[in-house]
Amino acid sequence: MAKAAKLSTSASPARDLWPGIEQAINKPAVPVRTGWHAGWVQAAAVVLLIAGSSGLTYFTMRGERQSTLSPVVQTQALMVEPASASFGSRYNLGPGYLDARRTLSSSLDEHLARLSPEARAAVRESIKTIQDAIRDINNALVEDPGSTLLQELLINAYRDELSVMKQVDGIADAAMYREDI
Amino acid sequence: MRAAKPVKAGQPNTGVEALGALETVDELRWVEMARAADTAAFEKLYRDNVDKVYGLCLRMSGNVSEAEDCTQEAFIQAWHKLDMFRGDSAFGTWMHRIAVNVVLGRMRKSRREQDRIRAVSEVAPALVTMADDGGLRDLEQAINELPRSARHVFVLHAVYGYSHGQTGEMLGIAEGTSKAQLHRARRLLVQQLESENYAH
Repeated sequence: MAKAAKLSTSASPARDLWPGIEQAINKPAVPVRTGWHAGWVQAAAVVLLIAGSSGLTYFTMRGERQSTLSPVVQTQALMVEPASASFGSRYNLGPGYLDARRTLSSSLDEHLARLSPEARAAVRESIKTIQDAIRDINNALVEDPGSTLLQELLINAYRDELSVMKQVDGIADAAMYREDI
Repeated sequence: MRAAKPVKAGQPNTGVEALGALETVDELRWVEMARAADTAAFEKLYRDNVDKVYGLCLRMSGNVSEAEDCTQEAFIQAWHKLDMFRGDSAFGTWMHRIAVNVVLGRMRKSRREQDRIRAVSEVAPALVTMADDGGLRDLEQAINELPRSARHVFVLHAVYGYSHGQTGEMLGIAEGTSKAQLHRARRLLVQQLESENYAH
């Protein structure tokens, strides 16, 4: 150990590293990406993909609705604010879904508050897109309550919304890169 | 660099303390100027600290080109984080923490551990030891061949003098783990150096 303390703690690089540093710091300022931010940006990208998928599916199928599909009894559960029904069955959302949604919704604002303004706006926009799709699908179901396709789209949109909120919740618990220097 | 006068235990050393304080004030002034986007001031901080940072990066990575990249990245990160420098420690110490983070981050992405060991043996030693002692050169080589985790702890604690608490904080490990890794490093170094002595 005494010998180790005698070892030099300094060394000069063989070349001058300043030009590379100067070039980098003179570039237009870019926010330092941390693991935290990178995770949120990735989450927002996934959310947009899911939201886009839900919306796109709905609008794609809008003109292709088939009236020959077997009728399905419209239940109270198929609303923007779903009432309870059995979770897991094809056209119903159950108490398990409602509990999960309630829990995740209550902590969503807290998790979103930890994001950068840009990431927060991206996630809110994505959730709004999904909720707009839910509203539009419900409106379409009023005109065509028997459409199993619309009912399936609605169920998927609710699941997408839950999935987004779960991702936000999950990423909030993920380890961060150390930034406390 | 100005050399400090040796101080006998128990005697006040207001001269060195005043000198150290003055250097700290100067350094803080440069940091304030750099914070105001004065790149010339930041270059001054770079020139004053690059050897310390590069030396640490070289010891931790064991690879010259990797150490150069880590050094550059550390200073670039420091530029963007100048607002976080509170002046509680010397700027060089703060840079050490950034450099350790950079080295660890790059190693997590890199799978060149085996290449590193080969690279060290092929490249001429870049570090200058304080005493031209064959024993120290053997120690340098033995340190470079330590497993990564043990090497990091040994370098920070035994070479740079950081406490186990500070070492653990910089490496993201518990203090107890730091102590265990140091014990492991010592054991491996003794084995390595004893086998070399036997060979000679």
